Amino acid sequence: MKTRVPAGFAWVAPSIAVLLALSIYPLIFAVKVALTDASGAATFANFARLAHDRVFATAAVQTVLFTAAALAVEFALGLALALLVDSLARARSLFRAAILVPMLLPPVVAAVAWRLIYNPQFGVLNGTLRRMGLNTAALTWTDGDSSALLSVILVDVWEWTPFIFLLLSAGLQAIPQEPLEAARIDGASGWQSFRDITLPLLKPAIVLALLLRAMDLVRIFDQIFILTQGGPGTATETVSLYIYRTAFRFSNFGYAAAMSFVLLVATVMFSRSLMKAMKTR
Amino acid sequence: MAVLAAAAFLTASCSHSGVRSLTIAVNAGVEGTALKTAAQEWGSSHGVRIEVVELPYANLFEKVQLDLTSRTGAYDVIMMDDPWFPLMAANGNLAPLPREPDSDFIANCLQVCKNGATYFALPYVGNAQLFFYRGDLFSKYGMAPPQAWDDVLHAAKTIGEKEKMFGYVMRAAPGNAVVADFMPLLWAFGGDVVSTDGAAAACDSAAGVEALRFMLELGKYSPPGYAGFNADEVSAHLLESTAVMSINWPAWIAAMDDPAKSKVVGKIEFTTMPAEREKGVGELGAWLVAVPSASKHTSDAFDFVFWATDAAQMKQAALRGNPPTRRSVFESPDLVAKFRAFPTQLRSLDSSRPRPRTAKWNEIENAFGIYLSKANAGAMDPAEAMRRAAQAIDEILKRTP
Repeated sequence: MKTRVPAGFAWVAPSIAVLLALSIYPLIFAVKVALTDASGAATFANFARLAHDRVFATAAVQTVLFTAAALAVEFALGLALALLVDSLARARSLFRAAILVPMLLPPVVAAVAWRLIYNPQFGVLNGTLRRMGLNTAALTWTDGDSSALLSVILVDVWEWTPFIFLLLSAGLQAIPQEPLEAARIDGASGWQSFRDITLPLLKPAIVLALLLRAMDLVRIFDQIFILTQGGPGTATETVSLYIYRTAFRFSNFGYAAAMSFVLLVATVMFSRSLMKAMKTR
Repeated sequence: MAVLAAAAFLTASCSHSGVRSLTIAVNAGVEGTALKTAAQEWGSSHGVRIEVVELPYANLFEKVQLDLTSRTGAYDVIMMDDPWFPLMAANGNLAPLPREPDSDFIANCLQVCKNGATYFALPYVGNAQLFFYRGDLFSKYGMAPPQAWDDVLHAAKTIGEKEKMFGYVMRAAPGNAVVADFMPLLWAFGGDVVSTDGAAAACDSAAGVEALRFMLELGKYSPPGYAGFNADEVSAHLLESTAVMSINWPAWIAAMDDPAKSKVVGKIEFTTMPAEREKGVGELGAWLVAVPSASKHTSDAFDFVFWATDAAQMKQAALRGNPPTRRSVFESPDLVAKFRAFPTQLRSLDSSRPRPRTAKWNEIENAFGIYLSKANAGAMDPAEAMRRAAQAIDEILKRTP
């Protein structure tokens, strides 16, 4: 009996071919690289090394901290800004466009600009604070062991809060007005309307915004590479930065592939649990 | 992951049109600009089409190393920083020179071009660290140029306090920056990163710990946040007249005397590295030119490499801002009259030391730099930092590639 090829297959075949060539095959190849040594023999050594690699452990913890902190602040600010702009009677488009400006800059350009802003002696930030009469001797921003991670998070918040704002603004505009009007007639307070109507109806946009941002944050590279290169010491070392160094500076593609695979699995697990958590609420 | 896989699959196109051509990978900076100009001149006079690929420092390493290991022959001539040589020359990835280099090359520059007894590269830029200091302020306070690191500490304290300046400025960002600024101290105190045979870490010796303690002492006279500084910040402090002394590379000499960039024109003097228990030694940072063994135009490539490094061309490169690697060019009277630091640069090159000759240097430097940076940021005690660094370096040395 002949197997019939579905009529639409020819139309999707190019997309499948591109997906196989650019995503699936490289993924399989990277796993193979991670599971072979320099001589080509099968080995689990690259994954075993992960268990006692202190730099990887530090980078993993800092990636989680960076992701959690930046995501929380960006979400809170993005939601607040979206609600604020949505409540405006006039000039909504103007404010929306103004808020989006940081996001339009290439991350590399933003990072270079912030590197100059943060310079403890010549930067505009400490310069402004000094003009206000403040002592900036201890404000070393990205150059300080305890302040470096916070400074990098601040740059990410500045650049990517507009992204959350954009998605949540679109979500807010899609919410029908009737339930809100009915609640108002029934005497619901602003907070009650937000908690019981706006927030549940905004949930799909929230899930999307958190998912996209979280996946982007986990693989943070460009800003940290330019602002601190992972330092001082390992104060801002992240998994992506360590993978880059291992692959392209130390020429150890096997170990870098193993770390990439672990990062991929962790990201998928995190995304799935986030979606599950949002579904159950 | 896709990027990693794509990198491992790197392939390069190659012209098979029959036209003679050379593809040259150079560093995007003054060193590369001089080689690029020379290549274009050579190409026009020899009827060879020249394609120059200018890449920033980190990208140059990545692309050249990928090309060498995958043997694609994408580049016919490559420029490399000398610490990259042991890794890049491994596994027959570079073609041996068809003839021995002449004796005019400075010996320290030439020794980093050898793998065993065979030469695989020629030195093109003769970089060795120099000690920059404010000559006007040293004279004002009746101080002689610093001969020892104790003199540096004393001057940093004295001049810094009296002039309300930072007595010293150094770079202590992790990786190459902090290691480069620490090596002259480590060597002067009698320590080293790895043992003489290269088999084990040696940085946790008493001399190593003492050198790091001394670096932290100097840090007290450095600007806050120096633990994140790179070359730009260090030079900015000198140019803005906010710091008295630093270790620096010859590439910054021109900026110090450029009124458009500097507030200290003619005030910065240059000397060789201060001594302490051992003689003062600066780190060698020569740029080399080599021909990958996978090149399909090795004959033209070597013709160009020998031409670009002969005395006449090197003089041209010096006029374009590159420190030479030939003694005759350094001693050329018209160049000495034009470049006041040349005699000091030559003395510094003659006494310089290369970084340990191991293919794992990038990884060792990274691990070492992390702990040096932590100590400078106040996050770790010097003895603990050196112990942890030695442990990390030993792990790297024991690990099979």
